[in-house]
Amino acid sequence: MKTVFEKSVKGRRCFEVSALDVEKYDFEAGALRSSLRLPELSEPEVVAHYTALSKRTFGVDDGFYPLGSCTMKYNPKLHEVIAALPGFRDAHPLARADKMQGSLAVIDTLSAYLAGITGMDAVTLQPCAGAHGEFTALLMVRAYHRARGDEKRVKVLIPDSAHGTNPASAAMAGFEVVTVKSDADGLVDLADLSLKAGEDTAALMLTNPNTLGKFEKHILKIAEIVHEAGALMYYDGANLNAVMGVVRPGDMGFDLVHLNLHKTFSAPHGGGGPGSGPVCCKAELAAFLPDPQVTRTERGFRFGRSDWSAGRVTAFYGNFGVYVKALAYIVTLGGKGLREAAVTAVLNANYLREKISYFYPVGEGRCMHEFVLSMRKLREETGVTAADVAKGLIDRGIHPPTMYFPLIVEDALMFEPTETASKETLDAAADALKEVIELAYTDPDALHSAPHTTPIRRPDEAGAARDPVVKEEL
Amino acid sequence: MLDLLGLTSAEELFSDLPKELRRKKFALSEGRSQQETYKALAELASRNATYKSVFRGAGSYVHYIPAAVTSVTSREEFLTSYTPYQPEISQGILQATFEFQTMMCELTGMDVATASHYSGATAAAEACVMCAGKGRKVVTFSNIDPDTLDTLRTYLGARGIALEVLSADNGNAVLKSGTGGSVLYIQSPNYYGIVEDVSLLVSAAKAEGMKVVVGGNPLALALFRSPGECGADVAVGDAQPFGLPVSFGGPYLGYMAAKREFMRKLPGRIVGETKDAEGDRAFVLTLQTREQHIRREKATSNICSNQAHCALTAAVYLSLMGARGLKDLATKCASNAHYLARELTRVGAKLFYEKEFFHEFVTITPGKASALTAALERKGILGGLPLDEHRILWCCTECVGKADMDEVVSIAEEVL
Repeated sequence: MKTVFEKSVKGRRCFEVSALDVEKYDFEAGALRSSLRLPELSEPEVVAHYTALSKRTFGVDDGFYPLGSCTMKYNPKLHEVIAALPGFRDAHPLARADKMQGSLAVIDTLSAYLAGITGMDAVTLQPCAGAHGEFTALLMVRAYHRARGDEKRVKVLIPDSAHGTNPASAAMAGFEVVTVKSDADGLVDLADLSLKAGEDTAALMLTNPNTLGKFEKHILKIAEIVHEAGALMYYDGANLNAVMGVVRPGDMGFDLVHLNLHKTFSAPHGGGGPGSGPVCCKAELAAFLPDPQVTRTERGFRFGRSDWSAGRVTAFYGNFGVYVKALAYIVTLGGKGLREAAVTAVLNANYLREKISYFYPVGEGRCMHEFVLSMRKLREETGVTAADVAKGLIDRGIHPPTMYFPLIVEDALMFEPTETASKETLDAAADALKEVIELAYTDPDALHSAPHTTPIRRPDEAGAARDPVVKEEL
Repeated sequence: MLDLLGLTSAEELFSDLPKELRRKKFALSEGRSQQETYKALAELASRNATYKSVFRGAGSYVHYIPAAVTSVTSREEFLTSYTPYQPEISQGILQATFEFQTMMCELTGMDVATASHYSGATAAAEACVMCAGKGRKVVTFSNIDPDTLDTLRTYLGARGIALEVLSADNGNAVLKSGTGGSVLYIQSPNYYGIVEDVSLLVSAAKAEGMKVVVGGNPLALALFRSPGECGADVAVGDAQPFGLPVSFGGPYLGYMAAKREFMRKLPGRIVGETKDAEGDRAFVLTLQTREQHIRREKATSNICSNQAHCALTAAVYLSLMGARGLKDLATKCASNAHYLARELTRVGAKLFYEKEFFHEFVTITPGKASALTAALERKGILGGLPLDEHRILWCCTECVGKADMDEVVSIAEEVL
């Protein structure tokens, strides 16, 4: 499809800025640019272009989206309307706090809800995404140890099943990464953890349930080992959807948590953001939260600051428009509804797993909200890879599961159906997967060349990286 | 469904969870109908003041947003899709991001732009981390955006990179020699609206062997020579003025564009053009070996989810405006600001800096700053941002006209 620049016609215009009613100001010519090339199109042409692009994009409303660890649940339409209310949309972040009590109440109320859900005492909504929340929490970990005069805690422990953001965030926050092994069940290897947790350990970063969809059933023991070493327990909230309203990270022994409001709390992903990654913590870490914090005073809500803050991590207060949507979600569902969402998410995952359990599941027993299959045997028997299976699912109207993750499983496909998939959707997905697997044995080439129904065939990704074309030559 | 699993209750699926954890009760409120939720949140929204005219910017700018922007970007495919890891069913968002990258490269005069960052503040911080290299000291000025300065402190501090903040008392940044820094970060227009001599600062920094990161409001780039043309290495900023509402500070749109030599060091996602198996044009996320899901702790950044939908919004906005529309807009903002500045000085305010400015400027009215903004507030006008008891940072966009500005001036005349 042509780009918006290729469609451009010289001299064509659409949007007119309203006329000046004061004297035009002219800057000194030497400071000015000589040319600027942007698309020249009419409004119908611009709208048609981006509408065509939207039709080449697959969203949650277009079909089943069981993308593991991404919690692609339905995004209620009401939330878009609420976030666009003029009182929120037109609120200037630097207006006086006493004139913006609605926005500050949103921050305060959502913070209180998130503290209740996680079993924590204090919250910042400033981080703009999950990885940003991880980074923020680790800065707080460092500030906490330093405030106690403990400068030697330079290492962060991370299981080998963890998301890539965990080690990347630890490095950004200035820590060394130490990998903790998984045992045969895919859970944290307690012996390895005991060996590695010591007086140089700042924190353990843990996702629970983990990326294999397994609950760390020895979590209380894990917390004991880490705390005895003088380190903190950090909860990666990527998988909170499995246990929201059922158990709380704060009760499991965690000291800090980050959440993904764009996963667990239904804010849409927008093709890769904006997200929101609040950090919740226990009272003894509250002083280290990023500034500013909303506080309650006799005269209403105000912004406050802490002398011990780990620092600001972005401009203003983060992605306000996103957390309005999360607040709407929590208000609608209530405590009981959140719990029901988690239970249904786990039921859906187990149901789908059982329906396709003939097919190389990883691990024994039940899963939580997501599960992993290994395509290793299929690849060895037919030459059809995990990616081929994923592309085959695309032709059947299904967004593929997460591929080749977690790294500790060969040829992994990771499914997370979420609570908003119906039984009929799950049955259809099981049938589609069965069809793809059968095709692998009868006509593997049909899968090697899949997808066949999409606007493009498989792209040359290696070529793109080898000889990068990252903008159009105008 | 339970029958298939041989269960009587879905609760049995939670048997791996320690019992002592599950016994704990925690209360949240009862659920509500959507109608009740709407009412409750609309009530919160109504507690925020709304203004008939806004003269406050300082990093958050009120512009008119064409209806076509909101209409097109609200399409559910754009709104509800994930990061485009499956290119065959993500060509739309990939192509839109590629077009955004092209637009930002054109505006900044650079060779490569990322898909987006959380905000101008984090884009500045990540760019400085990328450029710091072995010298490991970043030099900047006291006239940059204060939130950006705080964010720089946080990000650089975490990596053990020093930060030196030079004063810019007369408004402009002037780089003295011998700072020993490896990176210079400047902002133009700076926090006080003043247009910096970017070329001069870049030459001074290059003579010291420093890399140069230039931040700023990208709307100004519709008029002024780009950072790339001035010799800078990296351009960053917040593209919120391109079609995003002020929304109490977010979501906004950090951008980062750089010279070609930084292509494989950049933090964040980049979309590239390639061909599909039949030789047709295709777009993919590229250079992913820089990123956390491949490189883990050796990645150039931890960023994954960014502000993709905001970048789409900016691309649609810029397509509708075109170069002429954007220049007209920037000219109108600047002309309004110069009119207001002149009129305010006529009634007793003084300009704190006698420098060339874009669409923001600082007045000094000794002891009267909060009295003036309070008087405006009473008339439903969000005045400039009081910097202290004497100085106010004003901003004019195209959303205000002569009548709005004359009203401000007449109120100022009463107060001063």
